[in-house]
Amino acid sequence: MDNMLDDQALLSPLRHTNNYLKLIIVAAGLLGGISASSPVTPLFIALCMSFASVVFGAVPLKFYLKLMLVPLGFAAVGSAVILFFFGSGHEIAAVTIAGHHLAITSQGLNMASLVLARTLSGMCCLFFLALSTPMVELFSVLKASRVPDVLIELSMLIYHYIFVLLEVAVSIKFAQTVRLGYKDLLSSLRSTAMLAGTLFIRSWDQADKLYLAMNSRCYDGKLVMFSPNNPIKAPELLISSLFVLSIIALSFITGNPPLV
Amino acid sequence: MHIMEGFLPGPWWQIWFAVSLPVILYGIHKLNRMMEVKRDLLPLLAVAGAYIFVLSSLKLPSVTGSCSHPTGTGMAAILFGPAISAVLSMIVLLYQSLFLAHGGLTTLGANVFSMGIAGPVIAFVIYRTGMKAGLNFYFTVFLATAMADMATYLITSLELALAFPAQAGGILASFQAFAAVFAITQLPLAVIEGAITALIFKYVIQIRGDVLVKLNVIGEAGLRRIKEAAA
Repeated sequence: MDNMLDDQALLSPLRHTNNYLKLIIVAAGLLGGISASSPVTPLFIALCMSFASVVFGAVPLKFYLKLMLVPLGFAAVGSAVILFFFGSGHEIAAVTIAGHHLAITSQGLNMASLVLARTLSGMCCLFFLALSTPMVELFSVLKASRVPDVLIELSMLIYHYIFVLLEVAVSIKFAQTVRLGYKDLLSSLRSTAMLAGTLFIRSWDQADKLYLAMNSRCYDGKLVMFSPNNPIKAPELLISSLFVLSIIALSFITGNPPLV
Repeated sequence: MHIMEGFLPGPWWQIWFAVSLPVILYGIHKLNRMMEVKRDLLPLLAVAGAYIFVLSSLKLPSVTGSCSHPTGTGMAAILFGPAISAVLSMIVLLYQSLFLAHGGLTTLGANVFSMGIAGPVIAFVIYRTGMKAGLNFYFTVFLATAMADMATYLITSLELALAFPAQAGGILASFQAFAAVFAITQLPLAVIEGAITALIFKYVIQIRGDVLVKLNVIGEAGLRRIKEAAA
């Protein structure tokens, strides 16, 4: 729980790139990937996004690959189900396990690889956003769009307290671990519950203090923020438009209308 | 259980956004109304949201050896009710996708529906009925959170099945397939999260039982009875 993507984003060289530009790139990647009907477009998006994260965003390659493992695990399990149960067409391969006849059809294979590619491209886009844009920058975008104030205020305070509570949780966990609190299943159950219980009581006290602090500074339901102005640079614009245009072109070539 | 980015094709990810949106809007409306009366609610909810996030990033001891994370939404529903839990869950899910790479942006609607709406509603209903029926407090908490996890897991399987119906047997067959595959991690998780949440409440009642009374989770008399039973 101590490797948050946000930490990486704060150090990223792309942090001060224009927020809207980054959001447009990510939105194009997400929509282009999810509406694709062949695995080519999603794979292209995944490659571009990974390249941008690792080369422009200076994310260590090993860290990046390790990050991909978790979502790919889920995608692999899900795709396996699709592989065996989805679609018709001629059978490519078949196995019989415990009396059940499981067959892989051509349509199922196509669908499974498409879904796998889409998930890959989606996760790469998400990682690009997460690894280059700290949440603080996104709040100013949310403020500018017409999201209800109460939602933004709540998000900002939650964001702040995540780090406060995480620090408490990590230090309790270390203390428990050196006292053999996680030596077997039963004691780890007890330790986890104790950690969470203490954390809840600490949180309640924190909330009391926060209310007092905000009230004494005349909080009226709006936290004011500074939103920096980062103009879009010409090379960034060029490479982004190239990316978006290639997605649209690829979508057309591989036979589906883009973004619908 | 989160559905990963890009896994749900159109029109399903849009549909789940459309289904979740009214509930979220209702939750925001309710939040606004409650804040007019109780101004100290905002900091409390903020800290509660952060608490859910931290709770869900804790790795649970798991029987199967895979890494499983608690959802924390069952507990939120018991404390704050389903409408507010939905709003908190949405924010937490957004952060999970951006900080921890769990879930995604296009699948946010589907994830909000399964984890932030279906789970909490089940937890809340079970908790309230159990308390009315006079069941043991800790057992009710266990049942409510374990069932919330089950509901989340079944709804997620349903969301996947609707998007990818099987050729032979349709939605039902692929629902069974998805449910069976994910049961390996999700069933132990539900039991463990239920047990842990019940234990959390035990610690909280021992030290700060007044908090639960203030949140209207249990009454003054109920708290006294539980404490006497433990003594």
